[in-house]
Amino acid sequence: MIDYIPIGLIGISHKTAPVEIRDRVALSTEAIHVALQECKQRFELDGLLILSTCNRTEVYFSSEAYTNLFKPLRHWFDDYKKVDFFSNEQLCYHKKGYDAVAHFFEVISGLDSQIIGEPQITGQVKEAYNDAFERKVTDTIINKMFSFGLQSEKAVRHDTFLSDGAVSVSFAGVELARKIFTDLQNKQILLIGAGETAELAALHFKEKGVQKIHVVNRTFEKARELAAQFNGRAYAFDQLPEALAQCDIVISATASQSHVLDAQTLEPICRKRRYQPIFLIDLAVPRDIDPRVESLDGVYLYNLDDLNEVVKHNMQRRQLEIPQAKKLIGETIGQFKKWMAGHSMGAVINRLRHHFDEIRLKELERLKKRLPNNGIAEIDYLTQSIVNKLMHQHIRLLQKSAANPEDYQEQVEFLTKLYELDGD
Amino acid sequence: MKTVSLILSYVLPVLYLGVVWMYYQIFTGRHKKLPARTSLVLAILALIHLSELVTRHLVLKTMPLSTIHDAFSFLAFSILLVYLIIELSLNNRASGFFIMGFAFILEVISTINLSWEKETNELLSNPTFAVHASMSIIGYTALSLSALYALMYILQNYNLKKKRIGSLQAQMPPLTYLENMSIRAVIIGIIFLGLGIMHGHFQANKILGSYIPLDIKVIVTDLIWAAYFIGYVLSRIYRWRGKWMAYLSLSGFSILFIVGVVVMYFADSFHRFF
Repeated sequence: MIDYIPIGLIGISHKTAPVEIRDRVALSTEAIHVALQECKQRFELDGLLILSTCNRTEVYFSSEAYTNLFKPLRHWFDDYKKVDFFSNEQLCYHKKGYDAVAHFFEVISGLDSQIIGEPQITGQVKEAYNDAFERKVTDTIINKMFSFGLQSEKAVRHDTFLSDGAVSVSFAGVELARKIFTDLQNKQILLIGAGETAELAALHFKEKGVQKIHVVNRTFEKARELAAQFNGRAYAFDQLPEALAQCDIVISATASQSHVLDAQTLEPICRKRRYQPIFLIDLAVPRDIDPRVESLDGVYLYNLDDLNEVVKHNMQRRQLEIPQAKKLIGETIGQFKKWMAGHSMGAVINRLRHHFDEIRLKELERLKKRLPNNGIAEIDYLTQSIVNKLMHQHIRLLQKSAANPEDYQEQVEFLTKLYELDGD
Repeated sequence: MKTVSLILSYVLPVLYLGVVWMYYQIFTGRHKKLPARTSLVLAILALIHLSELVTRHLVLKTMPLSTIHDAFSFLAFSILLVYLIIELSLNNRASGFFIMGFAFILEVISTINLSWEKETNELLSNPTFAVHASMSIIGYTALSLSALYALMYILQNYNLKKKRIGSLQAQMPPLTYLENMSIRAVIIGIIFLGLGIMHGHFQANKILGSYIPLDIKVIVTDLIWAAYFIGYVLSRIYRWRGKWMAYLSLSGFSILFIVGVVVMYFADSFHRFF
């Protein structure tokens, strides 16, 4: 298998640089468009792809002379962003050939993300590629790398648990609610407190189809404003028991220094609800809900620490999936290598055939003037046959050397020089 | 055909064990691809099991369900079929480990009691026996499933209460789903077992001349059915829910199972068909 691919990468990511530096090297959509056009022209690149998110700025480029382009590209981006981070080897990494491809596959699959397995990166890479493709700065190799990258992302998502389980506290609340209730759509939520924390948590539930979200707050006006956003009802603080009786999920996030809900208040409500499950999420510090409510039947209480434990557990589980994900990526790289071998050998063979055909047709044209018309068809057939035989020898030579990347490269260079294929 | 039937009878527990292992892998979250294949595996197992039941009764030329082997084998088969339908309709595989685990135990009991003797009991020559037995088996299947869902409810309730975060909690279906499935299964069980029992009493009157023959198995079955029925009516009146309903279903089935096995092995009953 040929282990050569003319692709290079330079990049700065959350693994090498803090957020202050990442902020300064990040490129806006317009800046990316300019960089794509200018770099392609200035460095005579075959293909180019720039990915810039809050966690990384990476430049993938393809060119036969790619090994000589790392330094000039680093300088160009430093000048462009008026920084000196791209030239800094500690902050800006570079990768060559299939190392760059493997890195791209890991990025698109969420393996290189700050939160492993997060799905947004796939969309961001797709966007970056579409941008480059529309501006006609990608080549066959970059196009294929993207398409194989998507293939590896799909395999990782389907065959591993890398993207499973909530990795934020608010989503952990939703995940747990789904372990209690079959259907969240017909459940009613009560927010105790009308602050940002409660609102954000409520939004996640709304995304999952919860229709009614009620609000109870010490300042009734605030409760009314927030409840209106969620098609819910606002309650005054002294109406808390009434509000609790009709809700299945309670999210509490007040700034209160003492418990706003205790077992004494909740017990008669549970009895009234015939001990149907009620899920309490306490996002406040200090805690809003007396932990003794847990002893009541049908009451499930989770505070911030408990939710963080869920997140931690899910993160650990994702970590365990990394070897399997890397194995799948390795398999896709194998397929990409196969394609690349065919692609590069095919290109050399095409150039050779074109070269031989050109000579053959030129000589045939000369001969046409001297020979009677009825003999030219036989000579055409004969010369074609000779070219085919010559081609066969060359193809065999290339195929033989393909087992060793260095030999193969040597053969390609030799043939290119011998027949001056560069000029074709 | 006898050889084929015998081989299948001995192979079935192994196949059931394989299926339990498959669901264990899913339950512990070790394989992501496996869930897509379970329904096919279950369908193949169901076909193999059906072949065993058919070949056996074709060779023996007896009514089905007439021995301990047949009864337990049919119960396991029935649980397998019901679970396959649940899995296909609800697309949830988390309960497979528990339900197929129970089916495996029944299949093992069935194979241990494997005999190859033609049934001569007069009662079993009556064609209506199959109706009585099938209804009773469906009833028992439903009650078994109810107990299994109740057990899962208790486990999941414990996990959520104690905040035991892990694959066990993550793989289990939601609490309210488990509760609803357990209650639905009890209703189906009460209806079918009730019909089976009623049919049996009519049969007894026809053959033995008494609606209520003094037979320990008949009396125990009637009592258990009555207990289930009363328990269910009370739960509706007093709106018992959650944990207590789960305990009720589980204890009801435990009594049913223990008493059933004791009566089957030790009591002198005209229902002793082996």
